Amino acid sequence: MSSTVMASAPSFTSTSQQFLSRVAPSCPIRLPTVSVIARAAHENGGKPRLPSRLLKRLALSSRPAAIAAAAAMVAASPLPALAEQMEKAALFDFNLTLPAIAIEFLLLMVALDKIYFTPLGKFMDERDAAIRGKLSDVKDTSGEVKELEDQAAAVMKAARAEISAALNQMKKESSAELEQKLAEGRNRVEAELAEALQNLERQKEETIKALDSQIAALSDEIVKKVLPTV
Amino acid sequence: MNVIPCSIKTLKGLYDISGVEVGQHFYWQIGGLQVHAQVLITSWVVIAILLGSVILAVRNPQTIPTGGQNFFEYVLEFIRDLSKTQIGEEYGPWVPFIGTMFLFIFVSNWSGALLPWKIIQLPHGELAAPTNDINTTVALALLTSVAYFYAGLSKKGLGYFGKYIQPTPILLPINILEDFTKPLSLSFRLFGNILADELVVVVLVSLVPSVVPIPVMFLGLFTSGIQALIFATLAAAYIGESMEGHH
Repeated sequence: MSSTVMASAPSFTSTSQQFLSRVAPSCPIRLPTVSVIARAAHENGGKPRLPSRLLKRLALSSRPAAIAAAAAMVAASPLPALAEQMEKAALFDFNLTLPAIAIEFLLLMVALDKIYFTPLGKFMDERDAAIRGKLSDVKDTSGEVKELEDQAAAVMKAARAEISAALNQMKKESSAELEQKLAEGRNRVEAELAEALQNLERQKEETIKALDSQIAALSDEIVKKVLPTV
Repeated sequence: MNVIPCSIKTLKGLYDISGVEVGQHFYWQIGGLQVHAQVLITSWVVIAILLGSVILAVRNPQTIPTGGQNFFEYVLEFIRDLSKTQIGEEYGPWVPFIGTMFLFIFVSNWSGALLPWKIIQLPHGELAAPTNDINTTVALALLTSVAYFYAGLSKKGLGYFGKYIQPTPILLPINILEDFTKPLSLSFRLFGNILADELVVVVLVSLVPSVVPIPVMFLGLFTSGIQALIFATLAAAYIGESMEGHH
């Protein structure tokens, strides 16, 4: 690469020259110094030194061969000439690239809109709507469930009322029957009792009658026995 | 005098390794006009990545999204949310513009940091993020300007220009100046951030080739994402601003 430094052709490919022209075209010494400091600091275990001391050190420690080569380089192509030959950095180089990029961007926008933003957006919106619809459906069915529950409760209530009514009626019927049977039994018992009492009375009267007739006979006999031979 | 050749040698050694090239372009001639071929090539790659991944992911959308579709649905939600926040209820027609702006800048920035462009040697200049070139950022910024003018004019007709004397006619020069500072700040912010990020990484790599540049690279990825977000947000904010009613 060192040959390109000394070459006088207008177009350069040497990166260092381009960098010099870009970074420090007016003062090419500043940046090299910085990088030398950095490298020296790296060699010295990361401790930065004072620039002057460092530069002296570097100058002293450079190998003679390198110094000779560098001197030859400087002699062959002095620094001002070097700077002249360096290509201008074209940072603010406006040309057809600008409209080209603008058109590319617009085309990309149309293409992305056709295959990405509109279809996927529509798809997402539709899915959103479907989910919302399903959710509201679910809410509706919950109302239905409530209605059914109410119906079930009503049916249960009606059934319960019916059962209790039937129970009451049955209770009433059976109690009436019981009453009737009870009364019947009581009547029969009373009738039997009355009959028995009547029988008893009649027997008593019969007995009394029989006794009356026997009394006359007995009294005759008593009189005969007590009054012997009247 | 020993110092200068020595330091030049050092510098040469360092930059032969790193090969930093700024402001060097690979020119193509098109009908007497020049284009920066490296920018166009990388922008084609970016566009191909975007279109390819989108086609792959949402070619056949499923009700229950998986993998790529899920990711792109998330991105679309994000863009819609951003547009809605900045523009308001009428954000719908602007989603493609804001979304393409965000995706193009984001993928461009990250391609500069993640894709190994350096493998491909160009005769002159080098491949890098398309947003590394002022032409790209100015093109995007100018499109943003056109977009917000279009938004304002289509919403309010010529009454849109009434905003220049709001709230008082004294502010007319400043309001006009704003139309120039908006694209200027948009383009230079993006350009400067991406260029500076790539330069910092390259210079660090040349000084300390291992480990140390890695955090800076991650910082670069972060910055790239933030810049894409800022550009898209500001574009949406400008559009929303020109569409909102005056009070």
